[in-house]
Amino acid sequence: MEYIVKTENLSKHFGQEKAVSGLEMKIPKGEIYGFLGPNGAGKTTTIRMLLGLMKPTSGRIEIFQNDLKQERLNILRRVGSLVESPSYYPHLTAKENLEALRKIVGVPKQRIDEVLEIVRLTAAGDKKVKGFSLGMKQRLGIAASLLNNPELLILDEPTNGLDPSGIIEIRNLIKSLPSECGMTVLISSHLLSEIDQMATTVGIVTKGKMIFQDSIEAMRMFAQQSVLLKVSESDKAWRTLLGRGMKAGLDNGIISLPEQSDENVAETVRGLVADGFSVYRVEEERRSLEDIFLQMTREEQAG
Amino acid sequence: MLTILKSEWFKLRKSNIIGILLVGPLIGLGAGIGADIAEAAGMMNEWYMLLIYMNLPYAVLFLPLVTGVLASLVCRYEHQAGGWKQLLALPVTRGKVFAAKYVLILLLVLFIQLFYLAAIVGAGLYKGVADPFPAAIIWKSILGGWVAAFPLVAMQLWMSVWFKSFAAPFAVNVVFTLPSILAMNSEKVGPYYPWAQPFAMMYPATENGDIFFIPWEQLMTVIGGFFLLFYLGGYFYFQRKAV
Repeated sequence: MEYIVKTENLSKHFGQEKAVSGLEMKIPKGEIYGFLGPNGAGKTTTIRMLLGLMKPTSGRIEIFQNDLKQERLNILRRVGSLVESPSYYPHLTAKENLEALRKIVGVPKQRIDEVLEIVRLTAAGDKKVKGFSLGMKQRLGIAASLLNNPELLILDEPTNGLDPSGIIEIRNLIKSLPSECGMTVLISSHLLSEIDQMATTVGIVTKGKMIFQDSIEAMRMFAQQSVLLKVSESDKAWRTLLGRGMKAGLDNGIISLPEQSDENVAETVRGLVADGFSVYRVEEERRSLEDIFLQMTREEQAG
Repeated sequence: MLTILKSEWFKLRKSNIIGILLVGPLIGLGAGIGADIAEAAGMMNEWYMLLIYMNLPYAVLFLPLVTGVLASLVCRYEHQAGGWKQLLALPVTRGKVFAAKYVLILLLVLFIQLFYLAAIVGAGLYKGVADPFPAAIIWKSILGGWVAAFPLVAMQLWMSVWFKSFAAPFAVNVVFTLPSILAMNSEKVGPYYPWAQPFAMMYPATENGDIFFIPWEQLMTVIGGFFLLFYLGGYFYFQRKAV
């Protein structure tokens, strides 16, 4: 497979603290790679190393199949980025901010209007950025990252500070980039729902280590469903079920049946009713990605 | 490199730079207008006397101090809101960014020197100086002061890249600039003290055969040496700086 980004045993230590250790990141071409982890997991540190803003303590980074150390300038020419909080020059207007960057990346002037249009900032183009809201600054940052028509777009927490409609807009924009512009996108976030709605590939990092890296579908496989039953005399009912050799859990008076087919659920309910229990509720519990994430983190800590 | 310089100038142009460029020459102009140069009449070219009076506040204090202000200015907007990380994630090398900022400050100092030249002429005309204008000497003084600023600019750029605050590099600058008042009166220390060099290089002396008003050896070793030291110090610091 063609990897746009590939890291080998990437590590960064700050004194004793291992911010990133032995990270093996693989981003296939044309994917939206969701880089997921709690705050302080090493996401931003990794992104900074990918952009050459920080030197790794050890390990290797390949972008576009070139070594970052040797081909940094040629690589960065094809990369757009937004790192952490949005960067801007407060004394300049939105257009001037982009112009200062445009002079260096060397794209035609009209590109400024194009990217402002993409992030819907055209109306505020001539206003000083120091008066912008966080959401507007974030949009400007995204506009700046798109300026050079990058093949790889790296966005660190891109929906930070945006209002709900802004989040949806930016989400749709990011989703459209691989198909419309042939871009590969790396987005980091500490929100599972965010990644779940955009990413096609996921890498989960905690305490500087990659604990999961696969397609979003593979990740959702973790989201096994279980069926919850609320019945009268739950304790007794639960024991009856166990007595029949069924797997069932009891938690707070709610009986849970893991991975049940429709027939099995029907059978179980029929059995309980026949035994004289009242069945109040039959619900399907879809485990949130949050739970999966916690489970993965816990397994990582246990192991 | 040229593209970075253009971008730097674009960013700086939009911050009120012109006032800062004019402060020094105006101080010089004031000193020139207030100077009592009549005592020199007949003894030496009155233009020299005027230059000496004007140089005192300008070359001793103002020129070294303004290098620091300019250096802080070209770094301030990078420190303010994540400018460094955005700039350095572009296809640029840190060495070139550092060089571009350095060259930009040098050009600004050159402008200040030219404004100062205009201030000298202005003060002279105001005073009605009748002696012939010693163009060669005065140009030597103007360009000499500029060259003498090279190491100071390098030092201040280093400090400004390092410290996020505006005040810290300025404080460093003041700490080094004030002793030059003492240093320039000392025959032992004066020739080797970098912050005293602008005054030495701008002080009109009689023809000595050298290009500037200080001996070649002093120019090469003191100004050249400190320039290399400060520039490389700042350069290597910037290379390693985590942004």
